[in-house]
Amino acid sequence: MTCFCRVKKKQMHKFYIASEVPSKQRNRNLSFRPKAYLKPTSIHQAVSLLSKHGEKAIPLAGGTDILVDKPSNIEYLVDITGLPLDYIRKGKEGVRIGALSTFNSVETSDLLGKGPYSILVDAARKMGSTAIRNVATVGGNICNAVPSAEFPPALIALDAMVKIVGSNGDRIIPLEEFFKGIRKTDLKTGEILTEIQIPILPPCTGTALFNISRSSVDISTVVVAVRVTIGKNGTCQKAKIAIGGGIGPTCFVSKACKLLQDEKIRDHLIEKVALEVSAELNPRSTSIRGSPFFKKEAVKVLVKRALRQALTKTGEEC
Amino acid sequence: MEEKPVKLNVNNRIYELKVKPYQTLLHVIRNELGLKGTKYGCGTGECGACTVLIDGKAVHSCLMLAAQAEGKIITTIEGIGTYEKPHPLQQAFVEAGAVQCGFCTPGMILSAKALLDRNPNPTTEEIKRSIDGNLCRCTGYVNIIEAIRTAAEQMRRNQT
Repeated sequence: MTCFCRVKKKQMHKFYIASEVPSKQRNRNLSFRPKAYLKPTSIHQAVSLLSKHGEKAIPLAGGTDILVDKPSNIEYLVDITGLPLDYIRKGKEGVRIGALSTFNSVETSDLLGKGPYSILVDAARKMGSTAIRNVATVGGNICNAVPSAEFPPALIALDAMVKIVGSNGDRIIPLEEFFKGIRKTDLKTGEILTEIQIPILPPCTGTALFNISRSSVDISTVVVAVRVTIGKNGTCQKAKIAIGGGIGPTCFVSKACKLLQDEKIRDHLIEKVALEVSAELNPRSTSIRGSPFFKKEAVKVLVKRALRQALTKTGEEC
Repeated sequence: MEEKPVKLNVNNRIYELKVKPYQTLLHVIRNELGLKGTKYGCGTGECGACTVLIDGKAVHSCLMLAAQAEGKIITTIEGIGTYEKPHPLQQAFVEAGAVQCGFCTPGMILSAKALLDRNPNPTTEEIKRSIDGNLCRCTGYVNIIEAIRTAAEQMRRNQT
């Protein structure tokens, strides 16, 4: 009996109630100890705060990545949620999405719900859970530059540009050029991404986004975003295939789209493009969400599905 | 360390306190305000045990800093019903047997409340989607969905 009790006591230390679980086991980075929380009210103020504190400061928007990563070298949290960057507008010059728009506002936006822009709604829906989409921002997702993100491929398929504001002024660059590698972007110290600009898309443009993930909440293993524009003679005027999901860079834009240029998109051509896209890819072997072989095979299927769906969305008159 | 004085509106009560820049809303709700109904699960926004309502929207309080919640209306499970007068969702969870260990229940109820306040007559798909960020490891989803549907009916009846 005594012996039994001793064993029980020894085992007891393995069972904790939630609030007592040792910090190391709970993904708590105790070196995440910023000294100050700053909340600028204008873009100018935010930029000057970020420039002043340099590498020690980080802009905080939704916080759903920063509070998971908990970077240890950060001393100043610059909460930019007070800036007037939460908007979605559609005008003559195209669509403008403020960097602080949440995925929930993209998902529920009437402006984006119809036509080729609906790919953004599809991408936003695939992102995390409802509670994450309620706070996570489009700009934060882009600046985090993780390869598994669903939103950047969708934006790149639509030729999106990003507006960056820094102490030396504004610049607008294509989103493709913004990504410099996994978790690396073109943002310099003191700069913030303020807006995503999508040009007006010509009529007869169809888009589609497909992904594979283990569950609806899980990060995508592979994401394929496709955009096709059909001309008056029924041939493809412009096509773009953007792929995400640990393929290598944050978002991979396929060169195989050239095969579609000025061609009538038929089934055999779709097959050929899918094979070509898959051959181009060199997925990371370190990804925990799928082997390179799996991803290359999955991309073949998804590209075919996405191209077919995008074609059906170009409209009946095209 | 610079402590920031904040005013938090939790369950229609104003709390004035000082928070550290890295303290999460969850930490403050549980340890400073003593509202232990909101649970600490994964701490990385995957399990939904820490769900609270911010301006009526479901949010993971483990992924929000307490300082960020200033000026917002925060609702925790303690704020939607009492033991004597439970919220229709709480009543429905009890009646449908949707509670097993109970750890996910506060988050489930708040996520469901955010849905029903916006959409009083949701489809099963919409119900499932509203609780997609809440994990139940006792595998009780069928009863939970049933409870939310029953509560929706009850709330519609109460309104008419």
